[in-house]
Amino acid sequence: MKTKTWILILGGVFLVLCLAVLAQHLLSTPAKSARVLSDGQLVAVLDLDTDQTLRVEYAGGYNEITVAGGRVSVTGASCPDQDCVRCGAKNAGAPIVCLPNRLTIQFADTQGLDGITR
Amino acid sequence: MKRCIALLLALCLGLCACAAPAPVDTVLFAMDTEMSLRVYGDRDGRVSQQLQQQLLELDAELSATAGSGALYRLNTQLESDDPHLLALCQAAKALYDRTGGAVDPTVCPAVRLWGFTGESYRVPTQDELDQVLGQIGLDRVTLDADRITLAPDTQLDFGALAKGYAADLCRAILEEQGCAAILSLGGNIQTVGTKPDRSPWTIGIADPQSPERYQVTLSLEGSRAVVTSGDYQRYFEYEGVRYCHILDPKTASPVQGDLRSVTVVCDSGVEADGLATALFVLGLEDALALWRQAEDFEAVFIDREGNVTVTQGLAQAVSNCSFTVAAR
Repeated sequence: MKTKTWILILGGVFLVLCLAVLAQHLLSTPAKSARVLSDGQLVAVLDLDTDQTLRVEYAGGYNEITVAGGRVSVTGASCPDQDCVRCGAKNAGAPIVCLPNRLTIQFADTQGLDGITR
Repeated sequence: MKRCIALLLALCLGLCACAAPAPVDTVLFAMDTEMSLRVYGDRDGRVSQQLQQQLLELDAELSATAGSGALYRLNTQLESDDPHLLALCQAAKALYDRTGGAVDPTVCPAVRLWGFTGESYRVPTQDELDQVLGQIGLDRVTLDADRITLAPDTQLDFGALAKGYAADLCRAILEEQGCAAILSLGGNIQTVGTKPDRSPWTIGIADPQSPERYQVTLSLEGSRAVVTSGDYQRYFEYEGVRYCHILDPKTASPVQGDLRSVTVVCDSGVEADGLATALFVLGLEDALALWRQAEDFEAVFIDREGNVTVTQGLAQAVSNCSFTVAAR
């Protein structure tokens, strides 16, 4: 095969890969965000720059999630222990978990950690 | 011209590396806790599904309340040949002997008496404690090669070992499939293999004063189990006294020691799980004495004043805090 053909083929592959990487970057979760999962299933991605509220229901129970001032918190819940509410407002680090209602709020910013033992 | 081709090839290869498949993340609720699994190299998600099935199977078999589970049947029928229960009993016996009974799965009736199972907390009377102490002790369990038999009124609860045992089974699946992973089984961390970028696993240890933050950072290579026991996970306060969910089997009462948390790092998940509880029960001095006799684990201790003590083998792995090193 001629050198020019090789350049064309490789150039084409390079262009496709550039587009793929760009798309992956654009579609990935933004850094200032939180993922809300109900029983392990993703139900929302919250932009922490936008104040908002979200109610998540599970098996007759509920959690009220509030985003304000760049932080997310559980401001109301039907669970008896209220551990998720006591977690307070967060924007990074370990997830907020409500065990009775099987709710998990994960942060895009994990503070460089792979995990937290507790 | 050849240079031009070489440059294009290098760029393509570089981009391929950037576009490496993302890890598969799974969140599930099992064994009364939240579990998160991050598996690298699991291209079609099958390994993550296999892990999930394993954890849900253990959840059903090791629940003390699910009527169809092996543990429930053992506690009601007083005998079992279930392989998971046999493995857990053997691990419990080894840890019981090694720690002088600081971790004991027969402590179950005392956990219930203090209300830690149903979160209806109360401080029992001394008469009640004396009565329940008669039901505690691993000598009430007969362990043969293929059968467990319990003395009447004995009940087992593997809360101090089950998640570590689950981590061991998950690690075996991951190693068989050649996948790297980090698992958090309710705060019990299990790392498996090496991350794709070859950097060490970075693990925070929760701050007992404020468990949503972390106080210590550990950098670890390869497959390790990292388990923490602390008095801040489940507790209640009554007349100004804090009662945590970790009971001393010798008193049937919550530990009132000098530590707020103990983190154990070792190869075996079930050992890390049991040792974290046992070292917390023993307190700093006795825990360090046990460590000095052992070669198979390292630990990080946080005491009531927030001071951090690290065993020698972890001194290079700890950062982000002031600490003292315990020497052998």
